[in-house]
Amino acid sequence: MIAPKLINPTWLISQTTLENWLDSLAKTRSLIAPRDVDGVLLYRPVENSRQIKWGFTRPALSAKEFFFPSTERLLKIEKTGQQVTLLETLPENQTILFGVRPCDMRGLQTLDALFIEHAPTDPYYSRRRENAIIIGLACKEMGSTCFCTSVGGAPDNSDGMDVALYETGDSYLVQAMTEKGLTLIPQTEWSLTDEIPAPAKQDAPLYALPQQDSWPAHFNADYWEHLSERCLSCRVCAYVCPTCRCFVIRDESLTVPGQFERIRCWDSCTSLNYRRVAGGHRQRANQNERLRNRFYCKFYYYPEQYGLGKSSACTGCGRCVDSCPVNIDITEALIELARLT
Amino acid sequence: MNEPKIVAFLCTWCSYTGADTAGIARLKSPANLRAIRVPCSGRVSPELIMRAFDQGADGVLVLGCHIGECHYDTGNHRAAKRIPTLSALMAFAGLESERLRLDWVSASEGERFSRITTEFVNTVRSLGPINWRADPKRVLALSHQLAKAESVPYPENNCASKTDSIRAKAKELLASGEVGCVIGYEVGPRGRTRPTFIYHDDDVERLVWNPDCTHNLTTYLPDKVSMSGALMAAHRKAPPKPVAVVVKSCDARAINVMLAENRFPREKVHIIGVVCEGVRAKDGSLQTRCVSCTERAPVIYDTLIGEAPSSIVNRKSGIELGIQTLEAAPPAERMEYWLSQFDRCIRCYACRQACPMCECPTCLYERDDSLWIGLGIGVNQKRAFHLGRAYHLAGRCVGCEQCEQACPMNIPISLLNQCLAQEVEKSFSHRAGMQAIPSPVVTVLAGEYKES
Repeated sequence: MIAPKLINPTWLISQTTLENWLDSLAKTRSLIAPRDVDGVLLYRPVENSRQIKWGFTRPALSAKEFFFPSTERLLKIEKTGQQVTLLETLPENQTILFGVRPCDMRGLQTLDALFIEHAPTDPYYSRRRENAIIIGLACKEMGSTCFCTSVGGAPDNSDGMDVALYETGDSYLVQAMTEKGLTLIPQTEWSLTDEIPAPAKQDAPLYALPQQDSWPAHFNADYWEHLSERCLSCRVCAYVCPTCRCFVIRDESLTVPGQFERIRCWDSCTSLNYRRVAGGHRQRANQNERLRNRFYCKFYYYPEQYGLGKSSACTGCGRCVDSCPVNIDITEALIELARLT
Repeated sequence: MNEPKIVAFLCTWCSYTGADTAGIARLKSPANLRAIRVPCSGRVSPELIMRAFDQGADGVLVLGCHIGECHYDTGNHRAAKRIPTLSALMAFAGLESERLRLDWVSASEGERFSRITTEFVNTVRSLGPINWRADPKRVLALSHQLAKAESVPYPENNCASKTDSIRAKAKELLASGEVGCVIGYEVGPRGRTRPTFIYHDDDVERLVWNPDCTHNLTTYLPDKVSMSGALMAAHRKAPPKPVAVVVKSCDARAINVMLAENRFPREKVHIIGVVCEGVRAKDGSLQTRCVSCTERAPVIYDTLIGEAPSSIVNRKSGIELGIQTLEAAPPAERMEYWLSQFDRCIRCYACRQACPMCECPTCLYERDDSLWIGLGIGVNQKRAFHLGRAYHLAGRCVGCEQCEQACPMNIPISLLNQCLAQEVEKSFSHRAGMQAIPSPVVTVLAGEYKES
């Protein structure tokens, strides 16, 4: 038994033990882990630990897709005669996410602020969060486009994880962070350790974040027009982002006559028709307005509305930097804005 | 016994009347034919056919008037051009080509109508239902085969002198006021090459030419020429000036297609053509499209930078090998392969946005009414989007591979485009953008160019 004073009990296990543990977990719940899919690294369901890709920086898509999926059915609508029935479809799947990086974990915490902590609570998202156990994996070092240290994160930050894993040479330190996480650990088989995880190699912050109250002053800066000039108005940045959460809702008919569904799909402020309303009016008709929104949302609107305080809604994962086809670089924009201030 | 669902598009003048004739003569025709009466076989757009397959049809039959007997003169010529091209695409994506048939039935040919429909239904019945499902194991085998294409090292070439020439030309054009903007390449702070827009002759030092100039800058051209971009507003006070653009050989062909489609007048563009040795992929080798490039020097330009090579080594690229491998595989495996690829798509539309040819103000596959495709990110919607987009590029795609470059999910989109390009070249001897000639297959209803 664990002594009550030890809040975060820690175990030292080998790679083989870890793999066996994951294999046994995969038998009880659906296990989602980093997996190589035709040359793209993605969080995907795996049947056993052999399908897991080890030694990665981060998957191409964030873990948000398992809590806020790209398409999700909100309701099923059935019409029989004059009768219309609405059936709520809440997700029931019990999952374990393995290999969640600290930046993705912070992304989920950021989404929690909107979907759970502020009323109204989103039943779909919160149900998925409740049904999932997150086994995080701290980074040993930062990737070439990572900048979590610049936005207040750290490559070895285990906040929010249920179980945190740290690589130490050939073995892993396993730390139970929550009660939920503790239930997964075969305490009788593993031996506790006093070892403390070595801190990860951190790159110095690239820049000082522009002060939150300095953002409104830059709203009409020419810089946005220069930056957005090469923007293609695609949605890669928002779809790979761990904290972008705009969505559209639409009712669509199913192939069975009289059956419909209400679905919710990802949307992005950079897309051409973002927030188009009846009559065809587009509230952000120009590319610079849409791209600017992305930055303001991350660093000003969202923290302001959902009480993130000084921290931003950007977790510094660097996915948008990696995947933008025309190299629109969020860090470059922040450096430029800090210079303007 | 499985009864196939057949959708038949019947031209009202000949084939629909032909069906009536068959009925009056009490000839037997299959009951599982869902007839849709259309004004002309030329009205049957490929989108309708693809939609029919999406909605669960097992076979689609298009019947029109015999060639030479069209009541609109050439409506059935359109059908005769489109449907074989579409059939090639659908076959490449894994649908048996027997599932789509185009034929001619005149009003008096009741017997012919009965025979063709019975034959078609029997063929489709023997093929069984369409199974849009993937078996992961077989998919894996096929994608490993495709990945084997050899890589070609990037050749040595003198980029510095080309950079100097581009800068000198841009300076001259901007200083003389001949153009208002030069679209070129610059290197960002992280060392990545990216598109840039130069408005003043003091800024030309930002322009570069290097092995990573992969973007097709002509994507920006229509907007810049019509001065509709936000930054151009400041310049709008003055009469709009032409725009200069730095192009490689593949990009230059895109300009030809745009000119053929009246996207802008020729005199509004100054083309700085660069003799291109190819561009690098992420692993440092030559990009696939560059391996099999047969031009090197742009086909259209106002200023040529570099010297056109006297001879070009004709090499097969991974794309051609990929097409061959896929075509050799049985249809079911091809379908599985494509579904597994489309399954990764997140519908970010980076492929469409990066494409110089995708120019519809609202994409057909992103309309609010979900007439063609739902909003969801299911594999069926993604398949409909990718195949539909590929068809819209038939005879227009210049193979610049911007779609594949932009794709964050590594979907081999250019395989689809190049399969269609080969088909169009075979049937119509048309290669997109070699001259300013519109696509023989896809009609682009571009309006007249207007100055804002």
